[in-house]
Formats: sequence, structure tokens, C-alpha cells
Amino acid sequence: MKFSAWRILKEGLTGNKGWKPHWRNPEPKSKYDIIIIGGGGHGLSTAYYLAKKHGVKDIAVLERGYIGGGNVGRNTTIVRANYALSGNSEFYSYSLKLWERLKKELNFNVMHSQRGVINIFHSDAQKDAAVKRGNAMINQGDDAVLLNPPELRKLLPYLDYDNARFPIYGALYHPRGGTARHDAVTWGFARGADLHGVDIIQNCAVTNINTRNGRVISVNTTQGTIHSEKVGLCVAGRSGQVAAMAGMRLPIESHVLQAFVTEGLKPCIDHVITFGMGHFYISQSDKGGLVFGGDIDYYPSYAARGNLPTVEHVVEAGLALMPMIGTARMLRSWGGIMDMSPDGSPIIDRTRIEGLYLNCGWCYGGFKAVPGSGNVFAHLMATDSYHQNATKFRLNRFRDGVHLMDEEGTGAQHNLH
Amino acid sequence: MRIVCPICGERDSREFSCRGSAVSLWRPAFEASDDTWNDYVHLRENPAGESSELWHHEAGCSSWLVVLRDTRTHEVIKCELAEEVKSES
Amino acid sequence: MVELVANSVSDQVSGRHLEGVDLRIIDLQCVTSIMPYKGQDEVVSNLLLKAHGVKFPEPNRVIMSGLVRALWFSRRQVFLIGVTPDPGLTKHAALVDQSDAWVVIELEGPRVLEVLCRLVPIDLRTSQFRQNHTARTQLIHMMVSITRVEKNCFHIMGFRSTAMSLVQHVSRAMSAIVT
Repeated sequence: MKFSAWRILKEGLTGNKGWKPHWRNPEPKSKYDIIIIGGGGHGLSTAYYLAKKHGVKDIAVLERGYIGGGNVGRNTTIVRANYALSGNSEFYSYSLKLWERLKKELNFNVMHSQRGVINIFHSDAQKDAAVKRGNAMINQGDDAVLLNPPELRKLLPYLDYDNARFPIYGALYHPRGGTARHDAVTWGFARGADLHGVDIIQNCAVTNINTRNGRVISVNTTQGTIHSEKVGLCVAGRSGQVAAMAGMRLPIESHVLQAFVTEGLKPCIDHVITFGMGHFYISQSDKGGLVFGGDIDYYPSYAARGNLPTVEHVVEAGLALMPMIGTARMLRSWGGIMDMSPDGSPIIDRTRIEGLYLNCGWCYGGFKAVPGSGNVFAHLMATDSYHQNATKFRLNRFRDGVHLMDEEGTGAQHNLH
Repeated sequence: MRIVCPICGERDSREFSCRGSAVSLWRPAFEASDDTWNDYVHLRENPAGESSELWHHEAGCSSWLVVLRDTRTHEVIKCELAEEVKSES
Repeated sequence: MVELVANSVSDQVSGRHLEGVDLRIIDLQCVTSIMPYKGQDEVVSNLLLKAHGVKFPEPNRVIMSGLVRALWFSRRQVFLIGVTPDPGLTKHAALVDQSDAWVVIELEGPRVLEVLCRLVPIDLRTSQFRQNHTARTQLIHMMVSITRVEKNCFHIMGFRSTAMSLVQHVSRAMSAIVT
């Protein structure tokens, strides 16, 4: 089923009775060429590119819950390529380029909106850091503009510029950054993968990964044992548990990150804005809700909900930056389970078990990576070589202490990112 | 979350900061292998369930605490002084 | 060498009187932190008692004798307030002069708990927190020591460097209960 203006018009005139489910709901077969564990953004995207680019015909995506029920449906939808370190830089740049043609690629409106990401800075030191980051972005071929306060004021007249404690010195503007509709991305990839023959199997929890002579041979699931000699892990916050099924421990701690949305308001915030003196970022959804978030709660958690001190902290930071949002009523808050790596950067690599591949460590930045991650992980699983834009996401970088990608410069240690 | 500090009594979680897995208490010998150090510094059980963690009573008595906590529910099950946990072992 | 002139806190902030609660700045004169060396807790306690009339308090308690106060401050750390410490203590404990590092505000009146419950995440009601009880906790985001010196009188000790913020937070909460 292809989407087109003509199709929408026709369905509209005939009572919308012709739409069909966008993907099948198959029973799992007993054997697949490739199994992807985890039907989130990364898992679906990996399956899609494996089928589309690498011609793998026989793929299953095993999802414990339902499609769109995990982090891919629980994030703040920001898409950007403003990384400074080699490794991250080329990868996110690549991913953003994929976003820019994702609607066409998937024939699905993912509502990618390049409204611009504005990182505000508040001191000379932060300005220096912004200039350095901006130059790194330009060197990578992406866009970055340094805004002085009058230029910024033209774009964002409603900030608290005269705040005595956090004066605004300017901002780094990344015009091609923005947001996308998270559910649409999930559905688009699920539909795309299904069209290429991928079996998406929901309500199917993996209970064990079976190996023989150091090779993966099958997985046990709540829907029976499924054989495959290639298995990819795309399970984000659950990486620790699934890796343990294969006898591995990972450099991952799972933390809770909260996000918040207000009631729907008239358009007032036209960009994605981040505060430099507190951890706070905000954008306005197409429905009108202000979507915002801040720090993780800073304790390991699988609860998918956080605690009030962090809520207070985030809201205080927001009000320090833009007092006007104080009159908006908060509608919902929720938590996602973040697979935090020690250096804050992801892991896409083989494991010591032949046929078992790892994709995790996205911390709180996995959404924007969805097309890029699926593409490079599919490349790794299909060809057993690293994609040119993902050569540095190696598992052994922690053990060896080389090529760590610590964007924040806080140290490659758990609980610092 | 409320944590019962053995010294200060029951307190709000905002007074504490979490250092992560209590594995940090068991530092390997200096000359231990790279793999042992990698285990200690980076690799984690990361349990979904009961987890033994190091917490610091930052805004209270400044004690390091070993807190047994359920990461699925945030229930705090037990809290002991890290000094005592270490000396018992 | 440049002669540094100490500013008094009361030059920067002033007390405040509202119906039901008063805020005053207290001058403690001499404040010294005392941290006994390993195994020296008892010796230090005895020395304190002999020299200053106060022993080493239990956690979360203050011991007062005249103008001298031994205030539990953290694990195996006590603030000796209102007197220059006996030099004999230095053999058995680490002593640090804290006189200029802290500020104390006194909050007094029948409505004092209404003010504090807006600022502090612990239960300060009389049933839980009696006279001579003390706690290290937070006031908004600031690390403080809170002591109940009398039924309706609390001493709040905070960093000297953020005295104005401390007074501002308390003052704002005072205004909130009046309106």
C-alpha cells in the first residue's frame, strides 16, 4: 500500500475503509537468517536496511512488548548533528542526511521538521566551547552559526536576557537540526521492513541466547525456540539483561530520564532550545504541547518513571531561561530507560560470541540516530566489516582506554553523563 | 524515594547522590590485569531488580552508604554504612 | 601583604520581623570543627568536657553549656562554637577554624514551623525534632545545619558565601505564610 495525495483523497471520499494494517502479524518461523532482538527504532531500522540494502530476505524482529512502546515512543523527538568528536561527528552527520530523505525513503510522513537547534551559552568559556563545536560541525560539512545576543534576540525575544546570574552571551545555531514525529518514524520503519519481508513478531520476549562452540545458534523466546546464526541486540535499556543471556557483561548502566509535556498552546517556541547553565531543552510539538526535559535522575532504574526532585530541578532550569512557560500547565511526565555508557557514546560492534552483534549505549540520544544506527548496524551484520561512518563505536575502547568519545569531557566513568 | 540513613534517619532522596554499583568498594590490586580493571571500572551487572549501590549522603552526614534497592520499583530495602560493609568482608 | 578586611554578614543582610516569626543574624564569634583521629573519640570527648564543659555529642544532637556549644555536624565531626578550643585537642583531633566560613540565622516565633516546612525536606515537628536536636539537611538546594535551640526557635547554619541567598529563601517563605 503506497501513500499518495490521490490515495488520501480517495479514502477521504469513501469513508476511509480501504486502509489496511501497515504490517503483518506473523507467527515466528523456526529459523531465520538473521534475528534482531528489540523492535524499537534501532531494531526496526536495522531490519529495514538489512532487507533493503543488503538483500537479506529472511529476518525476524523480536519485540517483547509492542511496536512503538519503548524509548522510540517516549523521547523528546530531537534530531541534530552537532557533535564535536571524531567518531560521533561523522556518524550523526550521516544520520541527519538520512533523516533528510527519510520521508521519501519510507514513503511515510515522518514529519521531520528542520526548525533549528539553538544552544545558548552564558559565559566566555561557554562561548569558546561553542565556537570550537561550531567549527567541528562545519569541518564535518554540517551547518553551524554563531549568534550574538542581538541576533539571538531577533529569533527568541522571550528569553530572560537580563538574568543577573545567567546572562545570555549568545548561541550556537544549528539550522538543519530539529524534530521528527517519533511514532511516525517507528511506524514508517516497521511498515518498510514488513514490505521487504521482515517478520515483526510482537509480544515475543527472548528468554535465552543459545551458543555452541562460541557461536550463536538460536534464541529461546516466549513463542518457542527460533534458530539463527546471526543475532543482533538492539534492546537499549535492557542490554544488560539480554547480554547476560549470552554470558556477557556490558559497560552499560540503565538510568531513568524524564520528559515532560504541557497542555497544547498556540505556537510560541519555533525551535529546539537548550539552556547552557542548567540541563534543560525544549521544543513545541505540532500539537502545541511544550516538550521539555533535563538531566537523568542519576540512579540506575528500570522503573520508566522518575522522582520529584528531578522534576523540580528541570522546571527550575526552564523558568530561569524562559519565565513565560511558568503559566503553562504540565500535562504529563514520563520516564525512559537509558542505556548509559561510560563515555556517553554508543557501541556498535561484534562480540566475542561469533554471530552475536551489539548495538547499545545510546544514552539519552538514540532517537536521532535511528536511521544511521540501523544503516551501519545492518552493514556490520551483513558484511562483517565496519561501516565507514561507524568505525569507532568499539566495545574494546573502554578496556584499552583509546578512542573514547567523551563529548562532555567529564571522564569515561559511569554516572558522569 | 526515601532512604533510611543509619546516622541521620529517614531522609528524602534529594539529600543523596548515587555513585552506582557497590562494586566500587572492591577495588582490585594495583598490579591486576587490564581485564580485571576493565571489569571493575566499566562492566556492570546492571540488574533489573535488587541492586547493591553506593550512595553518598551528600547534604546530610557525608557518609558513604551501601543501599540495597529494587531498580524496578525504586523500593529501598536496606541501607548500611559502607565502612561497616567493607570491614565485615 | 595585603590586609584583608572582614565584612560582617549584617552589613549585607538584615533581620526581618513579621507577625509570628522573626529572622535574626547571629554572630557566633569562634567556630572550630573538630575531627578526632582514629580511635581518639573518647579522649577528645573527655578533653572537651574538661576544657569547655561539653562532651562530644551523639549524632544529630547539640550540647550546650552556657555560651559554648558542641554541635554534631557530620560523621565524627563536631563544631565547637563560642570558644577558642583548648590547644591540647590538637594532639588527638584535626582542628579547623571555621569562624568566617559560616553564617547563622535565628528563626523564632510561633509560626516558625510553617516557614521551615516550605524550605526543608525533614520533619521538624516537636514530636520528631526536639530541643537540642540538630540535623544536616537542605534548605531549598543549600546544605545547612538546623538546630532546635528552643521550642519555637531554630538556628540555621549555612555557608557564609551564600548568606544572602539563604536569607532570601527564608524571607520569601516568611512572606508566603503572612499573605
